[in-house]
Amino acid sequence: MIRTYRALLVATVQAAAQYRVQSVLWMLFSVIRPVIFLAAWVAVANAQGGRVGGYDVRDFAGYYVALSLVSQLTMAWDAYEFEFEVRMGRLAPKLLRPLHPIHYAVAWNIVWKLTTIIPLLVVLALVTVSFDVRFRTTPAHVALFVPSVLIGAALAFVSGWVLASVAFWTTRVHAVSSLWDRGAFIFAGQIAPLALLPGPLQVIALALPFGYMLGVPAEILRGGVDVPTGLTLIGGQILWLSFFLIAFQRVWRAGVRQFSAVGA
Amino acid sequence: MEVRDLRKTFRVTERDEGLAATLRSFVRRRRRDINAVAGITFGIQPGEVVGFLGPNGAGKTTTLKMLSGLLYPTGGEARVLGFVPWRRESAFLRSMTLLMGNRSQLVWDIPAADSFRVLQEIYRVPDGQFRKTVAELTDLLELQELMHKPVRNLSLGERMKVEFAAGLLHSPGVAFLDEPTIGLDISMQSRIRRFVAEYNRRTGATILLTSHYMDDVVALCRRVIVIHRGQLLYDGPLADLAERMAPYKVITATLHDGAASADLAAYGNVVARDEGRVTLRVDRHAAPENAARLVNDLGDRLADISVEDPPIEEVIDRVFTGAEPAAAP
Repeated sequence: MIRTYRALLVATVQAAAQYRVQSVLWMLFSVIRPVIFLAAWVAVANAQGGRVGGYDVRDFAGYYVALSLVSQLTMAWDAYEFEFEVRMGRLAPKLLRPLHPIHYAVAWNIVWKLTTIIPLLVVLALVTVSFDVRFRTTPAHVALFVPSVLIGAALAFVSGWVLASVAFWTTRVHAVSSLWDRGAFIFAGQIAPLALLPGPLQVIALALPFGYMLGVPAEILRGGVDVPTGLTLIGGQILWLSFFLIAFQRVWRAGVRQFSAVGA
Repeated sequence: MEVRDLRKTFRVTERDEGLAATLRSFVRRRRRDINAVAGITFGIQPGEVVGFLGPNGAGKTTTLKMLSGLLYPTGGEARVLGFVPWRRESAFLRSMTLLMGNRSQLVWDIPAADSFRVLQEIYRVPDGQFRKTVAELTDLLELQELMHKPVRNLSLGERMKVEFAAGLLHSPGVAFLDEPTIGLDISMQSRIRRFVAEYNRRTGATILLTSHYMDDVVALCRRVIVIHRGQLLYDGPLADLAERMAPYKVITATLHDGAASADLAAYGNVVARDEGRVTLRVDRHAAPENAARLVNDLGDRLADISVEDPPIEEVIDRVFTGAEPAAAP
């Protein structure tokens, strides 16, 4: 498997190198949205005497810088990609190879994340300086962040594949994945840090999987939660990841069977 | 390869044209079952090259997809190299290939050589064998110039050659070829044909191929299986197909000047007349006798005569259009 991955990664780097401009644009996309929300919250905080909840302007900046980085590291577009493959008949040849099609996507995600991380860090460094960002991060937070962002990425990736598998039945998954993205928009910590959501919404957000992909690793990275809370949140991440892993196995098996029943 | 009573039924949604029908179908779908493959049985020995013939929609591709493991059948059994194909076990996937002339399985953005490396690892081909196979395929298909260009920059014919190589890198023991020469020009078609024949000779691989080009079949297959509307119509030597399916022979008589207007209707159905050349359709069993009479009666007014089976395309066409046996005297 290691040799297979090495070959897949090399081929993917070569393919990605053909689309450098696109890679940079996608990278900017993961920065633009958080920066817009950052600007909005800075305005709100300034209007309220410098604070909203427990966050001052520098905390907001810390949160959104962390969120940009996490968003880049965990974001996965597989549902859209997969729909295309099913519609265009690209999936069939992959199903006939002795390698699960998910591995091509894993390789693609790794390559895309690693190749865009350097320019992203440059952009985030600029934001950090210009907003005089405050991080409350301790070494313990960094130690928690590493597993948290990895689980968050796995969660986003696997749940994306569960959604994508809907294409086996409907061919189109756009409507479903758009709905999913709206859910992520509200409950993942994009429009506001999870801690600032009004009571019931916060409960819902913590019960849903979205926050565990973005908001949770971002809060841990900026040192916004204490270590016991961080551990509890990682526990939540593990629960949701386990759920989606099991769901994926079932949905995929049924989906392939459906796909091969109606015409691959 | 053993196939017994293999069936595949597709359920399709239907609706009439027009907005009202579209809206109706949105609420309530009308479905209909289509028997794409309606119970076919055959066996193929290791190393055989078999042509799988039938008009569009006969069920050829559906059968190939079932035998390669891409489709679950509705009923029946199949064993390919001892495996049940639709279980898609790794050992099975590693020992067969399905090449579809109109589908691409290479990564478009990188050169074929790099895609080959990925396939080597996926199929776990040892380095030595990989180098040897690539060298052989490069030689047989003349790929030297093509290996290092991104696949999207190749022409259709070039891409087909590279796809062939990609599909055969793991030296599969069974190859399903679905329209392997579709869209290619004549010289590329014949090169692919030579390649398939040579590949079969060198490796002893079993090959089942579909094609709309009879030349492919004539060049490669001693045996053909003909299906029509999902059912098996004929399974046997290509050479006997004409005898079974077309109960007539074609006598072509070339006459010397002055005899061109001779009436030959007494010897068979005159189906064509071109200058001194007359083509007659004659009942298969009566053909030798009629030809002998013709030679006797015309004497030295006859320049040349031949008695042949009808062209294979004509035979196939007759089978598919359900033509009645030719009424020949």
